Amino acid sequence: MSTDHSDHSDHSDHSVAPLDGLQHFGRFGVDAALLRDALGAALGRGGDWADLFFEHSVSQSLSLRDGAVNSAYSGVTLGVGVRVVRGDQTGYAYTEDLSRPAVLSAARSAALIAEGDARGALPPSWNATPHPARYPVAREWSSVPLERKLPLLRQLNEEAFAADPRMVKVEVSLAHSDAVVFLVESSGATHCDRQPMTRVAMSCTAAEGEGPAARRESNSASFAARAGFEFLTPERLTRLREQAVQRTLFLFDAEIAPIGGEVPVVLAAGAAGILLHEAIGHGMEADFNRKNTSIYSDRLHQRIAPKGVTIVDDGTRVGDRGAVNVDDEGVEGQRTVLVEDGVLRSYMHDRISAQHYGVAPTGNGRRESFHHAPVPRMRSTYMTAGEHDPADIIRSVKRGVYAETFTNGQVNIGPGDFTFYIKTGYLIEDGRLTRPIKDTNIIGNGPEVLERTDMVGADFTFDEGGWTCGKAGQSVPVSLGMPTVRVSKITVGGVGG
Amino acid sequence: MTQLLDQTRRVADLALSLGASEARVSLGRNRGVNLGWRDGRIETLEDHTSQGLSVSLFVDGRFSSHSTGDLRPEALEPFLREAVAMTRLLEPDPARSLPDPARYAGRAAVDLDSVDAGYGDVTAERRRDEARALEELTRDAAAALSAARGGPAVEVVSVSTGVGDHRGQSARVHTNGFEGEREGTSFYASASLTLKEADGKRPAGGGFTYRAHRGDLRPLEVVAREAAEEAFGKLGAQKLATGKYTTLVKAEAVGRLLGALLAPLSGGALQQRRSLWEGRLETQIASPLLTLRDDPHVPRGLSSSLWDGDGFATAPRPVIEAGVLKTFLIDDYHAKKMSLERGEPVWATGASLHSLQWDLGPLGFDALVADVRDGVMIDSFLGGNSNATTGELSLGCAGRRIRDGRLAEAVTEVNLSGNLKDLWRQLVAVGADSYPEGASNTPSCVFEGVQLSGV
Repeated sequence: MSTDHSDHSDHSDHSVAPLDGLQHFGRFGVDAALLRDALGAALGRGGDWADLFFEHSVSQSLSLRDGAVNSAYSGVTLGVGVRVVRGDQTGYAYTEDLSRPAVLSAARSAALIAEGDARGALPPSWNATPHPARYPVAREWSSVPLERKLPLLRQLNEEAFAADPRMVKVEVSLAHSDAVVFLVESSGATHCDRQPMTRVAMSCTAAEGEGPAARRESNSASFAARAGFEFLTPERLTRLREQAVQRTLFLFDAEIAPIGGEVPVVLAAGAAGILLHEAIGHGMEADFNRKNTSIYSDRLHQRIAPKGVTIVDDGTRVGDRGAVNVDDEGVEGQRTVLVEDGVLRSYMHDRISAQHYGVAPTGNGRRESFHHAPVPRMRSTYMTAGEHDPADIIRSVKRGVYAETFTNGQVNIGPGDFTFYIKTGYLIEDGRLTRPIKDTNIIGNGPEVLERTDMVGADFTFDEGGWTCGKAGQSVPVSLGMPTVRVSKITVGGVGG
Repeated sequence: MTQLLDQTRRVADLALSLGASEARVSLGRNRGVNLGWRDGRIETLEDHTSQGLSVSLFVDGRFSSHSTGDLRPEALEPFLREAVAMTRLLEPDPARSLPDPARYAGRAAVDLDSVDAGYGDVTAERRRDEARALEELTRDAAAALSAARGGPAVEVVSVSTGVGDHRGQSARVHTNGFEGEREGTSFYASASLTLKEADGKRPAGGGFTYRAHRGDLRPLEVVAREAAEEAFGKLGAQKLATGKYTTLVKAEAVGRLLGALLAPLSGGALQQRRSLWEGRLETQIASPLLTLRDDPHVPRGLSSSLWDGDGFATAPRPVIEAGVLKTFLIDDYHAKKMSLERGEPVWATGASLHSLQWDLGPLGFDALVADVRDGVMIDSFLGGNSNATTGELSLGCAGRRIRDGRLAEAVTEVNLSGNLKDLWRQLVAVGADSYPEGASNTPSCVFEGVQLSGV
């Protein structure tokens, strides 16, 4: 597993000359006059401000199944979303058709959120805003021929079958995309960002025995980053194959946890950041708080965790799947300390919530695509390293669960109840990892679990997995990280008492 | 022939002219308006006009799929040309070809009545008035429930409602003879209520209704009451003592368990050896009380269709009869793939389910609660997962304790665990009720001896 300590992460903030969004979208018929007229129409009924979000994304994926790379996909996303904001009210309209009549029609539809006369004049010129470059790409996917990609997938397949005779099925997929987004604000500021993404995944199915008595197990691994072809290093591909194979074979020795009830849980460093994401992160997204529907709505500047617990949502980590040069409403990506030494310091804001709270936006206004208006979303969410030796944390538990890899989680924002699903882990007995466990859900309450986080390890680990977060019908790429952590008790959904 | 179908045929012809051996082309257009309302005013107003093209290419025994929203003629041809070239570089897969055209025949002569002729009559004012009315009804329902509880009024933190209307058209062409067009409308209304308890927790409840015809939407009063009852039902929730319980899963929550049961029936799961139901056709996989039939032709059904994803003509069929598995859900590609692998024919049974019809039991929800006497009622699931290969499942859930045949205290942070092979055999009662939203038509179900973990 990769170790990428937060203290050592590259917070490169050098800015580069802004991309020319108008030039990119000019090939689709977009010109300065259209920008002006669309924003004029958008504010034609008295909206406070408006923006246009143009998106052009090209994606491709390859799949290997049954020993052959015999399926591929390519896609083009092209369109514009028009947003009009009046107070905390949002009018939104989108279209795939970038012709002048279609864009103006969308602008007029979004304008309907306001009821009145046009306010103010648009600025005389557009001002392209420079932003940091946090997605360095050494080799663009557009320069990599298909013939160069196919052998990589075939090699992973062959190595997986060679690794163990129990392997019966292997799937490998490689997906990459390259998006250009161009945001034009009614203030005159424009922002253009090029957003690469690469994801490689492998899943395995292995079998023990023959016929009806045969037992089969399946598992998978994935890596993702805002990067180009250079992301597929031999070392990373080897780790991918090793993780997918080992995690699958591990399951033959594992069983659903023989514990049903509250016990101490040790979260392994890395992907256990999903606990932060579900148990705490969503509840700190400011839209829920300004609506007073989050359990953290009344807790700003209060102690919500023991001293020593610091939680960050960070858009500045170079190359992260959750990295953000500029968010989807023109605010530069930032490192936002949510919980500092146990005290709730900040929510994650978009422009609307920041205005509500009278603070600066934090660069968390994100959207899946031009089909959606932005809302506060997480980026890379992690807990910073503590002082404990991970081995001591395990030794401290008489009987409990060590949770190592995870597939998914979910939260109910209002009460704070959350779950995450342990795919692999161990039982802890008398301070030692003993029986392997699998397929066990954990359910708890976010604020309670945070209060019970009583040991934090010194081994911060960043997870390279291809995590995707869903909220309000929108999916966005996110990253996770965590040191080894002990939670004094959570409900483990195994079998038995 | 409509303009949309004509356009779809032209794209299919273009794909062939660029070198594809066969092609499957779908073209869709959608228009919709969604209005979100919160605490006395409009919060979001969303309007869209959308279009999209999907193309599957079969080129010299090779396969790829593609999608684009850029339908300009000057963009489409190079897009397809590049797609064909890309496909040629892949490895061949002899199972990739369009279905036997004979399977397209026999399309039912049924009027699915999928378009509400009054779609265009919905005005901006009407949407706003409905959203406002739904908020007021939800607050009224909350006030009534609060009064019925006695004591201090329960604090209502926020009420959100939403209404929307959509119209979609799509056309599909397979170059070996399939053509089809669909048009449909849909309407919805939703309400969400958030309360606040003394400890700062904010239990929330929701209700919604979603139909092809506006006149078929359930009354707003019902949606409001559903939201309020769900939220109030969570007040004072406690943790449950770990144990095995007779568990009544409310109709609206049964879909989560049903989905876990049905997912491993897919051709993909079977071909990739990731199905716990492999080799289990015509065997008992569930309680004799479980009977499911699929009816793809329910008029005004939002999932109703005269053909499936392969273009096969759909027909009513049994899925599970008295607990015995009657069909897998195998698409054309995976049937061909498995036939080649096994050296014997595997029949494509059709991959899609449209509207499930259950054999209902005699007891409604309240009677089931009384019948259970001592157990747990689950009305919502939260996260968790199930293992399609082995059947293990572990799901977060919440609901109410059942004591003396009545719903008692709310329970939360509960986890249901077990194995699908066992769980559906533990089904001991199917309700007379049926969840009126969605295509699964789930009744409430009682399972005995279910492992529930809490404290």
